[in-house]
Amino acid sequence: MAIDYSLELAAIEGNPPLKELDEIIIKPMVTKPSRKYQIVLAITTSLLIIGAICIGITFYYGIGMWGNNQPVAWAFDITNFVFWIGIGHAGTLISAILYLLRQQWRNGIARFAEAMTIFAVMCAGIFPIIHTGRPWLAGYLIPYPNQHVMWPNFISPLVWDVFAVSTYFTVSLVFWYVGLIPDFATLRDRTTNKIRKTIYSVFSLGWRNSSRQWQHYEKVYMILAGLATPLVLSVHTVVSWDFAAAIIPGWHSTIFPPYFVAGAIFSGFAMVSTVLIFIRKIFDMEHIITLDHLEKMNKIILLTGSMVGYAYIIEWFMAWYSGSPVELFTTLNRAFGPYAWGYWIMVSCNVFFPQLFWFKKIRRSVPITLVIVILVNVGMWFERFVIIVASLSRDFLPSSWHYYKPTLVDMGILFGSFGLFFTLVLLFARTLPVVSLAEIKSIVPGAQPSHGENQHE
Amino acid sequence: MNDGKKLFGVAALFDTPDEILKAAKTVNNAGYKNYDVNTPYPIHGIDKAMKLKSSKLGYVTLFFGFFGASFILFFMWWTLAVNYPLVIGGKPYFPLPAFVPITFEFTVLNAVLSTFIAMIAVVFNLPFNSHPLHDSNYMRNVTSDKYGVVIESEDPQFDENKVNELLRSLGGKNIERIFYPEQKEFKVFQPRFVVFLIIIAIITSVSTYVTLNKLMYLPPFSFMEHQNKGIAQYESTFFYDKREMREPVKGTIARGFIPYAFTGVTDTNEFYSNPLLPTQKVLKLGQEKFLTYCSPCHGNYGEGKSRLRGFFPPGPTLHSARVIGFSDGKIYNIITNGQNGIMPSYAYQTTRDERWAIINYIRVLQRAQNPKPSDFSAISEINKESGNASN
Amino acid sequence: MPQTESNIRLAENAGYIKKELPKSLSTWGYILLIVGIALSIVSYKLDPARASFGYLAGYIFLLCIGIGALFLVSMEYAAGAVWSVPFRRVSELFASSVPFLLILLIPLFLSMKNLFVWMNPEVVAHDKVWQTRMNYLNVPFFIIRDVVIILIWWLFYHLIIRNSRKQDLSLDQNLTTTNIKLSVAFIPVFGFTISLFSFDWLMSMVPKWYSTIFGVYIFADAAWVGFAVVTLASVLLTEKGYLSTKIKKDHYYSLGTWMFAFTVFWAYIAFAQYMLQWYGNLPDEIIYYVHRWVGGWKYVSLFLVIAHFIVPFIILIPRSSKTNPKILIFASIWIIATQYLDSYWLVMPSMVNNGFTYSFRFTDFAFPIAAVGLIIVLFTTLAKKHNLLPIGDPKLKRSWDFHL
Repeated sequence: MAIDYSLELAAIEGNPPLKELDEIIIKPMVTKPSRKYQIVLAITTSLLIIGAICIGITFYYGIGMWGNNQPVAWAFDITNFVFWIGIGHAGTLISAILYLLRQQWRNGIARFAEAMTIFAVMCAGIFPIIHTGRPWLAGYLIPYPNQHVMWPNFISPLVWDVFAVSTYFTVSLVFWYVGLIPDFATLRDRTTNKIRKTIYSVFSLGWRNSSRQWQHYEKVYMILAGLATPLVLSVHTVVSWDFAAAIIPGWHSTIFPPYFVAGAIFSGFAMVSTVLIFIRKIFDMEHIITLDHLEKMNKIILLTGSMVGYAYIIEWFMAWYSGSPVELFTTLNRAFGPYAWGYWIMVSCNVFFPQLFWFKKIRRSVPITLVIVILVNVGMWFERFVIIVASLSRDFLPSSWHYYKPTLVDMGILFGSFGLFFTLVLLFARTLPVVSLAEIKSIVPGAQPSHGENQHE
Repeated sequence: MNDGKKLFGVAALFDTPDEILKAAKTVNNAGYKNYDVNTPYPIHGIDKAMKLKSSKLGYVTLFFGFFGASFILFFMWWTLAVNYPLVIGGKPYFPLPAFVPITFEFTVLNAVLSTFIAMIAVVFNLPFNSHPLHDSNYMRNVTSDKYGVVIESEDPQFDENKVNELLRSLGGKNIERIFYPEQKEFKVFQPRFVVFLIIIAIITSVSTYVTLNKLMYLPPFSFMEHQNKGIAQYESTFFYDKREMREPVKGTIARGFIPYAFTGVTDTNEFYSNPLLPTQKVLKLGQEKFLTYCSPCHGNYGEGKSRLRGFFPPGPTLHSARVIGFSDGKIYNIITNGQNGIMPSYAYQTTRDERWAIINYIRVLQRAQNPKPSDFSAISEINKESGNASN
Repeated sequence: MPQTESNIRLAENAGYIKKELPKSLSTWGYILLIVGIALSIVSYKLDPARASFGYLAGYIFLLCIGIGALFLVSMEYAAGAVWSVPFRRVSELFASSVPFLLILLIPLFLSMKNLFVWMNPEVVAHDKVWQTRMNYLNVPFFIIRDVVIILIWWLFYHLIIRNSRKQDLSLDQNLTTTNIKLSVAFIPVFGFTISLFSFDWLMSMVPKWYSTIFGVYIFADAAWVGFAVVTLASVLLTEKGYLSTKIKKDHYYSLGTWMFAFTVFWAYIAFAQYMLQWYGNLPDEIIYYVHRWVGGWKYVSLFLVIAHFIVPFIILIPRSSKTNPKILIFASIWIIATQYLDSYWLVMPSMVNNGFTYSFRFTDFAFPIAAVGLIIVLFTTLAKKHNLLPIGDPKLKRSWDFHL
């Protein structure tokens, strides 16, 4: 099929009337949830409860319930943290960076991706707090004048993390909410239910869709996007510095910041794809979240996956080029040591399988995409696992080498975090518009004034 | 039809973005100031048509961004370099590269929150966000799929008939008159509101108290004092003799302890010889120990001049032919075991090496009292050298 | 390129009238080129060892411009960007220096003994690290590798630019499709080749030092200066009426935004490298920065932070400056000059490793003068033959409708 490059591709399929878009998007909020939804929700909440129990056990008995032991002091906890933070990055990328790049196709998926960002950061935020062993003392991370005259160590990357993650969460939440304000106004004017109307009225902040408001609103949205863009890069950069600032071989590598960011976007897009594939099917939004959107996301997955592959290759090259025996050992140990299985899962899922997206047929095939993006998620989880556990398990002293094995509690908390994430996603899908009403309307064909001569005065 | 309500304005709806752009332009050109255009989504070019000035919110971001950056840098400098200076990781007190990440994050946080607050406070006029347009039929349409213009009655040019005509000529549909809602008296200090405030105050204070004083309270670091251990001079509840201070098990030997094998033997020469060479370092040590332990009885030069003024029998001179004739092993034996029931053992005061060093020093003293001719020539040579050096 | 009837109509629709560039421009180009070459020869006669370092700095500068411009062309195809179509031919003309990089590599190969510590067998014999690296850095492999890298770039340059020029006449949309495929293939190849190239010529100058991010650093520089040269030429040509009359503020804005974005990107990459090596403070790593902090280099390093990041960052923040042609021209000239400073900063302090001492000499600037002269000569010569606007590009019409 030849493509006509002189024509702009429509961001959504067909030419639906604006009212119909409202109906489709709001439908999940006003209809009764189906049986399938309830079953899925029951599964995810059960997972959530398992996770909560495991965290309770951890609090009661202590960190000894986990498999962590010297020298593997960081294991599932930090792996999960980095994994979830990474998942969050796609949302901000879609909503902020693609907004600045004026990629209109983002409008259909931005809301959902932003929500996933917030939920993912919530999941991520649990881990650094519980892994300290005394979570109730986490308040000391906030610099406030206290009776011990103690200040946080601002030189420590772990404290940078606190600032980065909390800023990221706040900014994502604000960004998401700013996007929701006009939609709350629409909901407010549609609903007849008194309680709902009150809630929507409060959250819409008196929004009137006035052009005088839109003008400030667009400016603020632009500013927030402009600030969120470097922020999203900085967050995973800071996470990467948790490792790279240490001089442990395998961690102390200057490429970590861009490599982690690329990996984060990679895994985040995979997660967004995973969820959207179901959402568009279940909520009949196949013409709003089109195959073209999935294809473009697959292209970004291919791009970022290749960046991750570049980083793997450069790491290998430098381990050898450096001439440092410990660097070389760490790299070899990852690939052929006791955690070789994890390494090869990581390489195959992150580098090999996404390369299938070079083929247009595969990019546009929904089932294959689904399989690959799930594999990418698995691979990216293992990437963090390999970086953390495989590097730590064989440190400088061979006498203290230790093969880390997760305990049931470890697994429970991991699954619990998935439970939390998907529970929140499911609840979100039925309480708020999953596609931004205002944004999707603005890209419907004919939604903008035709560019007559009056445009170029 | 007015029902005594005050007219807010007249609104009209349009179907397409092109129409609304034209309408906005016409209304603006007609000289109206207090009018508004409501659209379901932002329309490109509408700000030009309405001749709106661009939003100034960017300056808020800029100001608070710079404020945040300078504040947090100052704060980190103050905490880590002034209030509690601490060397961390061998870095200077003000390690700028390490402060960059937090400075950046805080700048973004400050800029975002201030911009957001500025928007909802200034633009949305929060908390006074009620508006006559709310709940009108017009509003329901413009939040869904129609584009509307509303001309307010406060406009100096407002004339209802003219406005109607203008809107109709532009092709406006559903022309609607919008009224102010009836004003309700609102008393600030209603009992319900006051109770609400009190409850909020109580919840806030209690939660703050619990968080800061209970949840986050760290006892001062005194874990070392409160461990289960025996402290000397305390009564024990565990041992039957109620003493916390225990004696070592019988036959216990201290680490590095070597028993003295020759108690009672008078001349140990054949077993012992001095392991230390009379180097400067050894002699220095010997001198120090001699002056500490031996000189009170034997005199500063070992000549038997006691400093004890008769309170204790003075020690004999060490320059007698008998003592000069003692082997090193014998003197060692005397220092270790004492002699004649008068000189006590000095085994507890001096280590083995110190005793040997003392013996070396004694030999030096003895030689100094009975020098050989070769010693004089050596001394004169030394004097010559030092004399040359001083010239 | 012969002008056909339909071609002229297309150009008219695009608001483009093909005009000769002013003679004085190419004259200036030749003057700079000849003066630069003459000074280079003088510099070589004065101190051949010193000249080889100066030459490398100039070469990296030229390489960043050429390969950066080529990268922009391929990015436009791969990303399907619309706004940048009117400027694509300008980038293509700047990329025309890529083939010359091959010839200009010869003097570098001849001066390898001066440039690299590892060319000294005695040093290698006493150092285990160098012995490991010699498997990679040995002369034959080194030369073959770098020649092949530039040949690859040349190949992609040739194919992409040929298709783009052909389209001016044939208006064949399949050429766009072909170029998209070529560009998509080029981008990963480019990522690896520029990394290897920078490892070879810049990283291997410093014994024991290594940094995994170094390739990305050079990439950031190349893309940054690529946008700067394209902005400079496009804005000048548009303002003087050589390019389309249909170019709007929105197009300028995008150029400014991209320069801004890459300013920040470079700062990010440079800071990531600096911060980690400063934080780790390992002797083998920090020596790279110690060499750039001793004596007067301290002020150069600090100035580089200001010139490479703070100045363009502040200039390009406001929306008004991104649409103001004068500010854009100033910013892009600033960026091009700073890019040379960066190349200089990357190369010169490493002289110490070979036992040379650095002192400031004006003869170092012979090479960038020659490089600028070469670029102007190439640009003016090719601009005579080809349209400055890709009038046959199907996306061009959409680009006129581009708005923020």
